[in-house]
Amino acid sequence: MSDKTVVITGATSGIGLETAALLAKEGFRVIGIGRSGERCHAARKYILEAAPEADVAYLTADLYHQREVLRVALEIHDILAEKGNGELFALINNAGCAQSYYTTSEDGIERQFALNYLAAFLLTHKLLPDLIKGRGRVIMTGSESHKGIRVHWDDIMLTHRYHPLTAYKQSKLCGMLLAKGLNDRYAGMGIRAFVVDPGLVKTDIGDKAGGIVKIVWHFRKPFGISPAVSAQTYGWICRQETHPAGLYYCKCQPCKYSREVTGQNADRLFQLSHCLCGTEQNSEVAQ
Amino acid sequence: MNVMITGAAGGLGRVMAIECAKRGYNLFLTDRNKAGLEAIKIGLERQYGIIAAAKKCDLTDCGDVDALFREIDRHNIRFDMLLNVAGIDFEGGFQDREREKVVKIVSLNDAATLRITHGVLQRRREKKPFYTVFVSSLASMFPMPLKATYAASKRFLYDFALALGQELKHENANVLALCPGGMVTNEEVTAAIEAQGFFGRVTTVPMEKVARKTIDRMLRGSGTYIPGGFNRFLSVLGRIIPRRTVAAAVYWRWNHTQKKWMQL
Repeated sequence: MSDKTVVITGATSGIGLETAALLAKEGFRVIGIGRSGERCHAARKYILEAAPEADVAYLTADLYHQREVLRVALEIHDILAEKGNGELFALINNAGCAQSYYTTSEDGIERQFALNYLAAFLLTHKLLPDLIKGRGRVIMTGSESHKGIRVHWDDIMLTHRYHPLTAYKQSKLCGMLLAKGLNDRYAGMGIRAFVVDPGLVKTDIGDKAGGIVKIVWHFRKPFGISPAVSAQTYGWICRQETHPAGLYYCKCQPCKYSREVTGQNADRLFQLSHCLCGTEQNSEVAQ
Repeated sequence: MNVMITGAAGGLGRVMAIECAKRGYNLFLTDRNKAGLEAIKIGLERQYGIIAAAKKCDLTDCGDVDALFREIDRHNIRFDMLLNVAGIDFEGGFQDREREKVVKIVSLNDAATLRITHGVLQRRREKKPFYTVFVSSLASMFPMPLKATYAASKRFLYDFALALGQELKHENANVLALCPGGMVTNEEVTAAIEAQGFFGRVTTVPMEKVARKTIDRMLRGSGTYIPGGFNRFLSVLGRIIPRRTVAAAVYWRWNHTQKKWMQL
């Protein structure tokens, strides 16, 4: 059994659950994060059935809200200090949602932006010391849909004309920019960030969204692949001895990504995100 | 512009607060939920760089409201705008609900709203226009079996807003009654609207648009704002059809919907 710890958000169903199961089977220590305690329990049971030897723990947190992200980051930090020498081998920011209507998180942030992007930003930022210590990898769950769109800088929460798919695409583009920005900043400290495009996967992401998203998802879902297939790409990245060179991976292969993913845009997004989270650049690393 | 918003930590109140912050107004937020209130206060200060104050307050508790106004007087805050958003509903038939829960609907939606409105009107900024919104509901247009207390409490706000608007006509104050249909505020509401099927979808209005238009309308003048064309059509029907017939029709539909919803 290796002494490498992997943190996976949104690990109670779909891609997150299959990735957690795959990595647990391969001997990684897995910390999963889910929203409901009940579903966390079921997920842990599911993994232990497939791999009775596995070291799996689940933490409950509603990542829409910043105070929950901060709390769970501390809990992870404590677990790592206790079990894994304070080293984090990989952080998989997989939790995501699709919404049909404009709704906000407790902090007044549009919910797709809050969960798909900002929660990942804040969690990564808070776990940076552990990632640096473990020369870790950050993996974002991306999507082909990040292409063909720009970040709406003047109204990033899309409060003026809310379109659910635009908000989804933009949140995934922001995920790409997060990975790009992390590489620009912390590659020298041994951290490397990736985005995985899982493809069209049969998960329940659109089922609870209601409205137009639910209808569209109803027709798209049957053409999807099984989440276990897309989990392979995550497994492949975690298995490599040295950091793979690409940024955007699909079916274990580096792929082309949007021209919007530039260092300049990433800098702008980092600045905005630090402002939204009340965090400071490099404050974690300096400690 | 100093704005007081009640029920600011969730749903429409939060989106109203975001809309006001976007316009650069300074906010005074109250809610029962302390953690949520702090989160939105800090979130808005970070996003829009406005000045926001937040104080937890149970509006149904007279002592709590007194303490709230004492705090306001201590800092000598004067208001230009009041958004009465705080309100509750518990689903189900009158007899199926606990006694005090039913009473709470009226004590929060109506009594508490009066308490706050009276207090804030006395603390309006002198010689400046004053604006206020009462969040009523599309439900106020009809007698609604299975939502009887809620609909009646919202009817109270609707009538009260129109009457108060006349009283304050010559005092440079605008009073708006907002009567929205369903709005998606959280995941449970999404499920409830799905359960209503076609009618749920067509009466649902986007919350961010409602917030923006409500403030625009209020700045323009007194009156009623019913968001959504279909909702306006329903409110007209509510006026021309005899109220007993409306009640029977509503009962037939809600009974069906609630059964479906309970199965979810």
